[in-house]
Amino acid sequence: MRKVKGFLLIGIIMSILFSSIIIAPALEMTAEEIINKRDDNEYIISIKAEAEMIIVSGGRKITKTMLILSDKRNALIEFTNPQDRGTKFLKRENDLWMFFPDAEEIIKISGHMLNQGMMGSDFSYQDIMESDKLTDLYDFKIIGEEEIDGHPCYVLEGVAREGVKVSYYRRVSWVDKERFIGLQEELYAQSGKLLKETKLNEAQEIEGRWIPVDSVMENKLRKDTYTGFKIVQIDFNPEIPEGTFTLQNLR
Amino acid sequence: MFSFKLGLKNLTRQKRRNVITILVIAFAFFGYLFMDSVMGGIEEMSFSNIKNYDTGNIQVVHPEYWKDREKLPLENLIYINQDIVDSIKNLDGVLGVSPELRFKANLNNGIDEVSVLGLGISSEQYNEVFATQNYIIEGSMFSTGESKAVIGVKLAELMDLKVNDYITLLVRTKEDTFNTIDVEISGLLNAPNPMINNGVVFVPLDIAQQGLNVGDGVSLLALKTASGDEDKIAKVLMDSFKNKDLDLKAYSWRESAESVIAFSTAKKGGAGTILSVVLLIGMIGIVNNVILSALERTAEIGMMKALGMREWEIVFVFMVEATGIGILGGLAGCLIGFTGVGLMAKYGFVDYSAMGVDISEFGLPIDKIYGTWNYPAFSFLFILSIMVALLSSILPAYWAAHKDPVKAIYHR
Repeated sequence: MRKVKGFLLIGIIMSILFSSIIIAPALEMTAEEIINKRDDNEYIISIKAEAEMIIVSGGRKITKTMLILSDKRNALIEFTNPQDRGTKFLKRENDLWMFFPDAEEIIKISGHMLNQGMMGSDFSYQDIMESDKLTDLYDFKIIGEEEIDGHPCYVLEGVAREGVKVSYYRRVSWVDKERFIGLQEELYAQSGKLLKETKLNEAQEIEGRWIPVDSVMENKLRKDTYTGFKIVQIDFNPEIPEGTFTLQNLR
Repeated sequence: MFSFKLGLKNLTRQKRRNVITILVIAFAFFGYLFMDSVMGGIEEMSFSNIKNYDTGNIQVVHPEYWKDREKLPLENLIYINQDIVDSIKNLDGVLGVSPELRFKANLNNGIDEVSVLGLGISSEQYNEVFATQNYIIEGSMFSTGESKAVIGVKLAELMDLKVNDYITLLVRTKEDTFNTIDVEISGLLNAPNPMINNGVVFVPLDIAQQGLNVGDGVSLLALKTASGDEDKIAKVLMDSFKNKDLDLKAYSWRESAESVIAFSTAKKGGAGTILSVVLLIGMIGIVNNVILSALERTAEIGMMKALGMREWEIVFVFMVEATGIGILGGLAGCLIGFTGVGLMAKYGFVDYSAMGVDISEFGLPIDKIYGTWNYPAFSFLFILSIMVALLSSILPAYWAAHKDPVKAIYHR
């Protein structure tokens, strides 16, 4: 009996030691590594996607559909719902243009206009402009661990690096420990006020990557408003014809 | 002398027709003078609105800021040095100096958001330059350091806000990072400037500086000076900045309001065309009168020629008659115009506020339009009326005088 107890003890110690060898790297991951791993999942190099934007404001619900073409630095968004059909946005590096078919005019969106909600949504134009790696913009640290909808998460806090231009001074991200995908994120102003909150409703594993396909953004400064964003279909590394991201193609 | 007397006598021969012609000229002139006075009044009020509620008489800014001022940048600000402010204040003709920090913001009431112009001011200094505080109709102006704001009634209506409500201004700091300025509304104002009523949020300067991370920076110093001395004082300031090796420039309100002045000039051009048509109607009256007189008196002209009167004497008779109509019409027009413009200048056009109509909705900056005196317009019209009458009578008079006496007598 004493022998059995002895084996059991050895077994427990062994299993603790063994599991600690496996778990240790995960536990020892730095905040930067976690964010980079999340970025590896979510950071898009080149895609072609069909998406839906559901804008809910004061009990009104508007659905806008769009086609998205994007490479590492540029993106072209064309709205396809009847009300906005033909409206296009072109992002080239750090510039953003918009084309309204009714006005037949290309407008550059800059300065304070970038703070406005894109097509009346809670996503500002500035939000869609941000394509830099988060670790280049923020100093991240792990501030805790929590569970969201049964998924254990790292809670990370990113504070804007000095001298770097960023829209949000501070962001708190809940990153799924297993899938390395952001489940929730809060974006704060420098005053400490919560400005926006995004929550993930659904993620899908596509071509070995976890991609957020259904998420919601809430503008916390306004009541009764949120914007849902759903990816209906997505292709990675599509063939993008030359001249796609040009102003000529915007008309 | 005989021709002159005959010309004067002819003036009384067709009394009814001449009186009608004189009245046509008089009312055409009255219309011109009245419109000119109204437009002058609107222009003067627009300019005083700019000076008293927006730019001050002179603005001191960094030259690079001036180039981009429409974009309200947080770059190239002036960092307040009390010595500079005092030296400006002590200049002859400078009545007040107000530092201002201008910024773009989104006003948020918790439900909606609207883009506004934020103005960080030091209320005491601001009152030395601008008359805005006199138009606070509810609540009061804030003091330095208070997290409070004053907004226009129109903006308050739009955002469903009242005194003591809290608002959030979403701004971008100098580093382009979002920040919020949370303030309580301490007062509502209804200034004569629609821009102030519709889209400006006043906050204490120090609160704005803190929210925008600009330290002691201000966008500009607005100066109140004696009216008309702007250019002279601006030049003195420029020389003083140059001597002190300061990268600052002084611009008069005219330079700030370039686009408004250009628009006003264009508007004047357009209105001038319309007024020319009014004048033309009066002139056609004179020409018509002379032609009718000449036709009626063809036989008489033939008789006078047969009796030995020379052509230029006959032309002179018609010219005297037409000039008489021009003088009387011009005098009557100036007299009615004088009365109309006088009433307009004293009592104003229409008190829209009494009628419950806000004409700022139509882009007009006031609730009552007062006329202005434009004395040169009176003399211009009077001389113009005589000249046109004189010149327009020559051709028909010459046509009548040139006729063969026999054919003229028999109306052939």
